[in-house]
Amino acid sequence: MPLDTSTYSLALLRLDGRRWNELRRLHAQISTQAAADGSSYLEMGNTKVLCNVTGPAEGRQSGQRGGKDSEAKVEVEIGFAGFSGVERRRRKSDKRTSEMQHCLETAYSSLLLTHLYPHSTITLNVHILSQDGSLLAACLNAATLALIDAGVPMTDYLVACTAASSSTSDSSSESSDPLLDLNSLEEQELPFLTVGTLGRSERVSVLMMESRVRMERVEGMLAVGIEGCKRVREILDGVVKGYGKRFS
Amino acid sequence: MPVSILPPSAPIAAQHLKREDSDEEMSDDDLPTSTSKSSIVTPGETITSDPQWMRGHGTYVPADTSTIISTVAGHLHKTNKLLSVQPLRARYNPEIGDLVVGRIVSVQTKKWTVDIAAPMLASLPLSAINLPGGILRRRTAVDELNIRTFFSEGDLLVAEVQSLHQDNTASLHTRSLKYGKLRNGLFTSLSGAGGGILSRRGGVVRSKRQTFTLNTAAGEIDVILGVNGYIFISAHSKTAQEQKDVSITRLEESVSETLYSSQNDEIQPGVLREITRVSTLIKGLVACGSRVDEDMIARVYEGAVELEAEERSLGGVERGVGAKGVVETVLARLEMGG
Repeated sequence: MPLDTSTYSLALLRLDGRRWNELRRLHAQISTQAAADGSSYLEMGNTKVLCNVTGPAEGRQSGQRGGKDSEAKVEVEIGFAGFSGVERRRRKSDKRTSEMQHCLETAYSSLLLTHLYPHSTITLNVHILSQDGSLLAACLNAATLALIDAGVPMTDYLVACTAASSSTSDSSSESSDPLLDLNSLEEQELPFLTVGTLGRSERVSVLMMESRVRMERVEGMLAVGIEGCKRVREILDGVVKGYGKRFS
Repeated sequence: MPVSILPPSAPIAAQHLKREDSDEEMSDDDLPTSTSKSSIVTPGETITSDPQWMRGHGTYVPADTSTIISTVAGHLHKTNKLLSVQPLRARYNPEIGDLVVGRIVSVQTKKWTVDIAAPMLASLPLSAINLPGGILRRRTAVDELNIRTFFSEGDLLVAEVQSLHQDNTASLHTRSLKYGKLRNGLFTSLSGAGGGILSRRGGVVRSKRQTFTLNTAAGEIDVILGVNGYIFISAHSKTAQEQKDVSITRLEESVSETLYSSQNDEIQPGVLREITRVSTLIKGLVACGSRVDEDMIARVYEGAVELEAEERSLGGVERGVGAKGVVETVLARLEMGG
């Protein structure tokens, strides 16, 4: 029997039955690939992402030394599975993908203590198995877990989630309703931003917004996003600690 | 604006509670006197804010504070006033004197570059190997031209870390009869399990004996445990043994003929089977998070052979699936036996 969703809008629930401040199911595993230096698998709702870390290791071309003189270089490759979206993807890479790669590269080169591994390269391979919104946030979370598994020192967790501003309410800033952790349907409808923060602090490290929104609403969206990140950090921390019990 | 975030409706709540407990434990005793065995620290976790402690590996101190914060997920160690965090898994970090197994990546004019699972490729200079032809001699231009006859790309070798450069690049040497080219065996890589970290629970640790001979029903086999997590298991080389009887002056000379050979000898199927068994058991040991050393391998190997014999005669013993299942069963039995 199909679920009766007709009352959702009356109860101020979203399309998938969540409240405005509710995260989707966040399931993560660490050390999924035995052969990789570090690996992770992360599901945020129906967005499924696999991440492998190679390194710190010598760069692919021999002779080509890593990043700046005394620091490791971070390389990111994002691969979409052909079956990941609603439509089958033909082209291998596009500008959006390379922007995501660049976003991850810059975020992690400042987060990781790269000066400990001079001349080497840390390669992140992200595979997107299924897309349902919050793609960049899922990639960031998966990459953080994989890097922890690889034992690469970092100052803190980098966690991310998305927040949107619903346009259903009237345009005055007081009554605009922020939403947390969007799925793809909501992403198509609403202006949204992806925010990544450093651990428990409220320091924003990644902020990406591709849609137009009124200035007054941004503050509310950011506040919700940052609170959501704190929650995500607790969940990811739980995953890492649970994994650590295996070694005790 | 007041913001409260609800958890996703899932069984994560239980995990979350446990985490808070351990957090309190850490902040309660500002002096982390005992390493709490059950819990680990994670990146960004404050270890202590007491200025009397010094920071070691795996920690950092943010500018203009005295708070020590962890940068990796792992166990906390205390050496006098030094606090360090050992990661659960990490790449091997070379240290002088380590016995490592490596693979030649490229051949250059006067040296080889070797993959030893470290952040950077190691180098093996031509001057740091035993040249064939009797007594220790100086390398000549001819040797430089024939560099590929000693080691070529893809060859496996066992070597010792001789020195470290500024950027932690290792320089190897094989100037001993114990070291050199590897053949007649099976290579196994334990990723993230090398490194010989202090009290790492899983993986290869630095120990007194990294190479040893195991007695099996089919014959003796040699096991080389590289500290870097690369392992080589081979049929016991009889030649070296026999030639010990030859006069000591002729030793170098006679060995040199087979020293850089890339040709495998004929190995009995029984020995091949035992080599594979040991290799699989070592992988199982790592999967169980157990340490890999001579004593452990010998005990688990004997247990596994017994288990197989039992399985044959009784027609099925209760055990888990795969190498991990076998190792778990054997370890449980060893514990019961004392």
